[in-house]
Amino acid sequence: MDVRSQVSMVFHLDKCIGCHTCSVACKNIWTDRKGADYMWWNNVETKPGTGYPTKWEDQSKYNGGWHSNGNGRLRIKSIGKARIVPNIFHNPHMPSMDDYYEPWTYDYQNLFNAPEGSDQPTAEPISMIDGKKIDVQSGPNWDDDLGGSPLYAANDPNLEGLTEQQKLQLSSVERLVFFYLPRICNHCLNPCCVASCPSGALYKRGEDGIVLVDQKKCRAWRSCVSACPYKKVYFNWFTGKSEKCILCYPRLETGQAPACFHSCVGRIRYLGVLLYDADRIEDVAKLPDDELVEGHRSMILDPHDPEVIANAKKCGISDGVIEAAQNSPVYRFVMEWKIALPPHIEYRTLPMLFYVPPMSPVQASKEDDVIHHSSDNLFHDIDSSRVPMQFLANLFGAGHEGVVRYALAKQKAVRWHRRAETVGDIDRETADRMLREADCTREEAEEIYKLTALCTYEDRFVIPPMHREQAIEMMKEPHEHREETGFGFVGGPQRGM
Amino acid sequence: MSRSIMLRGTVVLAVVLTATMADAQDSPDYFRQNCMNCHTIGGGRLTGPDLKDLSKRRVGRDWMIDFLLNPKAVIDAGDSYAQEIFDASGGKVYMPVGPGMTKQRAEDLLDLIDAESKLEKSQFKGRQFSNKPFTTADRKRGRQIFEGTQQLKAGGASCISCHSMHDTPALGGGRLGPDLTEVVTRLKGRKSLSAWLVAPGTETMQPIFKGHPMSDDEIHSLVAYFEASAGKSPSEPSANRIALLLMGLVGAAGLVFVFDSLWKRRFHNVRRQLVDVSSPGDHP
Repeated sequence: MDVRSQVSMVFHLDKCIGCHTCSVACKNIWTDRKGADYMWWNNVETKPGTGYPTKWEDQSKYNGGWHSNGNGRLRIKSIGKARIVPNIFHNPHMPSMDDYYEPWTYDYQNLFNAPEGSDQPTAEPISMIDGKKIDVQSGPNWDDDLGGSPLYAANDPNLEGLTEQQKLQLSSVERLVFFYLPRICNHCLNPCCVASCPSGALYKRGEDGIVLVDQKKCRAWRSCVSACPYKKVYFNWFTGKSEKCILCYPRLETGQAPACFHSCVGRIRYLGVLLYDADRIEDVAKLPDDELVEGHRSMILDPHDPEVIANAKKCGISDGVIEAAQNSPVYRFVMEWKIALPPHIEYRTLPMLFYVPPMSPVQASKEDDVIHHSSDNLFHDIDSSRVPMQFLANLFGAGHEGVVRYALAKQKAVRWHRRAETVGDIDRETADRMLREADCTREEAEEIYKLTALCTYEDRFVIPPMHREQAIEMMKEPHEHREETGFGFVGGPQRGM
Repeated sequence: MSRSIMLRGTVVLAVVLTATMADAQDSPDYFRQNCMNCHTIGGGRLTGPDLKDLSKRRVGRDWMIDFLLNPKAVIDAGDSYAQEIFDASGGKVYMPVGPGMTKQRAEDLLDLIDAESKLEKSQFKGRQFSNKPFTTADRKRGRQIFEGTQQLKAGGASCISCHSMHDTPALGGGRLGPDLTEVVTRLKGRKSLSAWLVAPGTETMQPIFKGHPMSDDEIHSLVAYFEASAGKSPSEPSANRIALLLMGLVGAAGLVFVFDSLWKRRFHNVRRQLVDVSSPGDHP
């Protein structure tokens, strides 16, 4: 058993209000630079919608992630040792600027410098790449709140497998629905970007599992860009190096939550340590689609189990980290309550960011200006929710409904339980029956309610002690490090070797 | 230590000996490779005069040596005898300076010519070519040899690699050597052209054909071809250039097609397609 620790995340989609505060916080700290202007290490997408870059989930086009060919071999879809030679001058699966967007700003100087004219001067949009005036045609969040859009929502790749009727409902009045999907790097256990890099510039930090790009080793192959199925590695066109979400490791190392977590208005984000068995990564990544979610869970170890603790210590994990793992809110959502699910696990990168699937209103119909609900049972009928079960299953269950149904049923039961407790219009017996049906107890429902609705900063973010001194000691003589550190980069990353 | 010095001494001695012997030995070879394409000894006039009994000419040995060292200078200086032989050659062909010509080399050559002149039948009498008239088959075969559809038996490069003719198809021949349409006129007819082909004397051709001489039969066919083409207008380089450009364009278009189908599964713009398909004429 090769026990390792991973800083993992849960995003509670039922709480997300789509305010983009997380994106702005991240942008201001990390990507407000030339060449990084189009990067959104954190972005919030409207679902159903095409996301950013456009239709990133359509792997028949982008060719991201792993392919398991059934006879026990995992292969990167986009590139391989043999295929890199004939494609050395052109990576055939690279998204173009048009699939992101051409970053732009406004010509504010014109407001001050414009010559006298018959009308007021305007600040026209200008490209941040060549400085010329542009006709803005798309942006990082172009389909924001456009649920029901025949252009964006109707082309969501997750609509696969829905009946024509269900698809129609998603864009009809009084049935239309959308929810938000905030996305950052998943810091996967089986990261395709790391595996694809010919220069070995990408690596997964041993002590906390954060996936990083070494700016001095990156040689601009951009294999990571095409390999990452979540399109969360971006190429800086100015420095000629790839960049990605660093999970604000400088903040984590000083005990602060990452900026997007810290700034989250809806408090939807949870961060904590998970212990997992690294020996099983390859076996799990090869499982058939319907076993992936369970397989992924089975790798995550119980931090209270004495045997796991003993093995963790043997593997060099410190007591502080084990303690953080025991208090991890992520462990409770993912393992104890099983209501948080990995996104698109069929890409086989084993993401370590989990989503609590969102609830949605039940379907309704309109007759003579009167709105009728098709279900009398507003809190029970998850099958008549406006977001079709199959849609959520495509997002969070590799196309299989079971795990999503379980997570939604439990959330419904918690609502019934709380309604019985506080409003009292539902009798206790019915609420308890609901809980039983959802594989939940009163105590568990209370816990879920508390961590969902009443959570404090300390409840949401259990940041392990990073013990940088130990990590440094593994690589270098500490005194030598002390002498060299503190100067940072003498120059920024640059093109070339 | 002493052994290695001895070894080195032996090597140096061997090299010096070989060099000297080669020097002494190669006058006939030199003559064969550099002189025989224009001169014979007792075989009659080619482009240049027959050299038999050279020492009995009215100019002396010193004149000969000066002439060998720089024929053009002697001719241009207005020397009467030089003018005479220059006019006899048609007044156009200056004798080239032989490669690596030195005073010693000139002396050796003159000695060789003297010695050979005394023989009944000199080895440099020149190859005797038949005078039988050329047939259509000869000309056809000559053209095949020129264009390389029929290889030279000794493995020499085909003429088309460096030369072109009035009727060379498509892209034309090489541009390194001159157009050979008028070569029969330039080299004064069948006999001297044939002699030239036995041992081509220019700096470019000599090293190529030195080890791969053409056979009498091949020379016969080639000369037949060259003779028939005399008087035709030579190939037009600009026409060839247009043909080349057109073929290049067609080839490039073909390659684009091939690579486009090879990389068919590459990433194509997703957003633009989506917008265009979903709302034609209504974007952005």
